[in-house]
Amino acid sequence: MKPPSDLRPGERVFALALLGVSLLAFQQAYGISGFSGLTTGGVIPMLAAGVMVVSGLVILRDALARPRPARPSLRETLRFLVPPQLVLFVALLVAYGAAIPGLGFLPASGVFLFLSIWMLWRRGVLWAAGITALSVTGVYVVFRLVFQVVLPSGTVWP
Amino acid sequence: MIEALGFFATSWIDPSLLVLTALGTLAGIYVGAIPGLSVTMAVSILISFTFKWEVNAALALIAGVYVGGVYGGARSAILLNIPGAPSAIATALDGYPLARKGLAGEAIGLSTVMSVIGGLIGVLALALAAPAISDIALQFNSRDYMLLGIIGILLVGTLSGESFAKGAFAGALGVLVGMVGLDPMTAEARFTYGSIDLMGGIPYIVAMIGFFGVAEALVQLENVGKTAVRQAISRIVPAWRDVRRYLRVGLRASGIGTLIGALPGTGGDIAALLAYDDARRSTKHPETPFGQGAKEGLIAPEAANNAAVGGAFIPMLTLGIPGDAVTAIIIGALFIHGLKPGPLLLSETPHLFWFMVGNLTLANLFLLVFGLTGVRIFTRIVECPRAILFPLIVVLSAVGAYAIQNNPVHIYWTLGFGVLGYLLKKYGFQVAPIILGVILGPMIDANYRRAMIGAREDLGQFLLDFVTHPISCILSLALILMLLAQTPAWRWLRVRLGRASGSG
Repeated sequence: MKPPSDLRPGERVFALALLGVSLLAFQQAYGISGFSGLTTGGVIPMLAAGVMVVSGLVILRDALARPRPARPSLRETLRFLVPPQLVLFVALLVAYGAAIPGLGFLPASGVFLFLSIWMLWRRGVLWAAGITALSVTGVYVVFRLVFQVVLPSGTVWP
Repeated sequence: MIEALGFFATSWIDPSLLVLTALGTLAGIYVGAIPGLSVTMAVSILISFTFKWEVNAALALIAGVYVGGVYGGARSAILLNIPGAPSAIATALDGYPLARKGLAGEAIGLSTVMSVIGGLIGVLALALAAPAISDIALQFNSRDYMLLGIIGILLVGTLSGESFAKGAFAGALGVLVGMVGLDPMTAEARFTYGSIDLMGGIPYIVAMIGFFGVAEALVQLENVGKTAVRQAISRIVPAWRDVRRYLRVGLRASGIGTLIGALPGTGGDIAALLAYDDARRSTKHPETPFGQGAKEGLIAPEAANNAAVGGAFIPMLTLGIPGDAVTAIIIGALFIHGLKPGPLLLSETPHLFWFMVGNLTLANLFLLVFGLTGVRIFTRIVECPRAILFPLIVVLSAVGAYAIQNNPVHIYWTLGFGVLGYLLKKYGFQVAPIILGVILGPMIDANYRRAMIGAREDLGQFLLDFVTHPISCILSLALILMLLAQTPAWRWLRVRLGRASGSG
C-alpha cells in the first residue's frame, strides 16, 4: 500500500505527538536499569523505544515533505479525525467503561447497546429496545450459561 | 505413521469435535462475510472464552472459524461488491462483475471449489514441510530465535503498511507493550508505575481485542449508513467442465498462496493479490478481460488465500513465529493451553500437530458443504445493519477482555487500545505489527539475554557469533537485506542494475 500523495488533516501534529511519546518512552525505559549492564531488563525496552524514536523522526520527516493541498481548518481536522458520530460513540464507550463497576456488566451493556443502537440506527426507541433486549439475553445465554464466564457484577446492582 | 493417522483422524471420529469444527466453519463463513467483522477479531474474542476448554475442542472451533472466515469474505465480495475481509479484495475485482452478469451462483460455486482445493494443498504442504523444517529448527539457538522474532515483526511492518517507518514504529510499540510487567528473569518492574494491575503485564489477548475488535469497529463507524446492492443468484454447483478447465490456474495460485502464507508476516490478503496478479500475467487469452468478470481472476485469489492458511501454520508450529495475524492469535491460544509452538512441538506433542492437520482438512471439507449451500439465507444475514453490529462488537470485546483473568481493568485496556488503534489506523498505521510485537517482544527479550549471557556479556563476542554460526549468519543477512531494501541505496542499485541489463 502506498501512502496517499496528500497530507491528511492533523498528520504533522500526530507525527510530532508520536515522536514526543517515543522520547518519553525512551526516558522511561532508561529508568528501568540505565546502562548498567548488557543483560539487564532495560536493554530491549530501550532498544524498542530507540526504534520508535528513529522511526518517529522518519515519519515526521515524511509528513513534513508531503504536500498539503490547502491549510485545513481546525474544523476540517476534527471532522476527519473525530466525526460527531464517533465522538458520541466514544463518549458512550467511556461512560460504559465507567458504569460497569457500579451497574454491573449486563445492565451497563444493556444501556450502552440501547443508546448506541438508537443513536446509530435511527429507527426509533422500540426497535432499539427490542434489539437490545435480544442482544443482552443472547450474551447472557451464550457467555454466562454456555461458556460459563463469570460476568462482572456491580455495586449498585449486583 | 499409523499413530500419526490416528491423531489425524481424532476430530473426524469424535462427534463433539466434528460438530465443533462444523460449527466453527459455518460461523467463520458468516464472520468472514460480514463487512466489519474480521476473522482476526472473531478468533481473538473466541480465544478468551475457550481457554478453559480442553485444547482439542478449542483448536477444532478456532481452525473452523479460520478456514471458514478466509473463504467467507469472497461471498460478500461477489454478491455485494464489499470484500468481507482483506483477503477478498482481489476476489471482488472479477467476482462482482460476474454477479452483475447474472452469474453470481456460478461464481460462488467456482470460488468455493477452488478455495477447498487451495485449502487442501496448503494443508498438504503443512503436513509435508513442517516435520522437515522442525528438524532444521532444532539446530536453532537463542540468537537465531531473537533474529527470527525481529524478522517476523519487521516483515509484517514492511508488507502491510504505508511505509516501513510506520511498520517499524508499530512493531516497536508492540514490543514495549509486551515488556510491561515484572521482568521474568530479575523481577525488576518495567513500566508498572507501582500499579499491581500492571505487574502481571498486559495480556496480549487484551491488546488483540482492543486493536482488532474495538479499533476496527470505530474505523468502520463511518460506513454505518451504507447499504449494499444485492445480486440475483442462479445455479451454485459449478459445472465439472469449468472446474477442470480452471484447475491449472487454481493449482498455480494454491502454490503461490502456500508459499506466501508460510513467510512469517504475510497472510491471505497479500497471497490473494499476488496470485491475482500472477493469473493476469499468465493467462494469455482470457474468455472475458480481467476486471470485467474473468473466472481466472476470481479463482486465483480464492485458491491462494485458502492455501495461505495451511502455509501460515508452518512457521507457527515449527518456529513459533506466526505466519499472519490469525496465527499470531492461535499461538497465544497454544501458550494459554500450556503448549510451546516451536521445533519441539512436533517431537514432544506429535498428536497435537497431526490433530491440527486433520482438523484443517476436515474444516476444508465442511467448507465445501457449507459453501455450496445456504446462499439465499446468507445474503439476509450479511445485510445485518452495522448500527447493531458495532455496538455488539464492543460489548463482545468487553466480555472477552474480562473473561481472560476476570479482571475489570482489562476492559479499560481494551477500550483504550481500541481508541489508540483507531487513531493509528486513521493515519495509515497497521495494527498487526503491534500485536506481533506484543507476542514476540518477550521472546526476543529472553533470547537476547540468553545469547548475551552465552557470550559472557562480551559485546564483541556476541556480535562475532552472528557471523561464525551458519544459521545466525544466514538470518542476519536476511535481516540486513530486509533493512537495506527500505533504503534509497537499494532503489538506486535496482535502477542501475535494470539499466545495465537493459543495455546488455
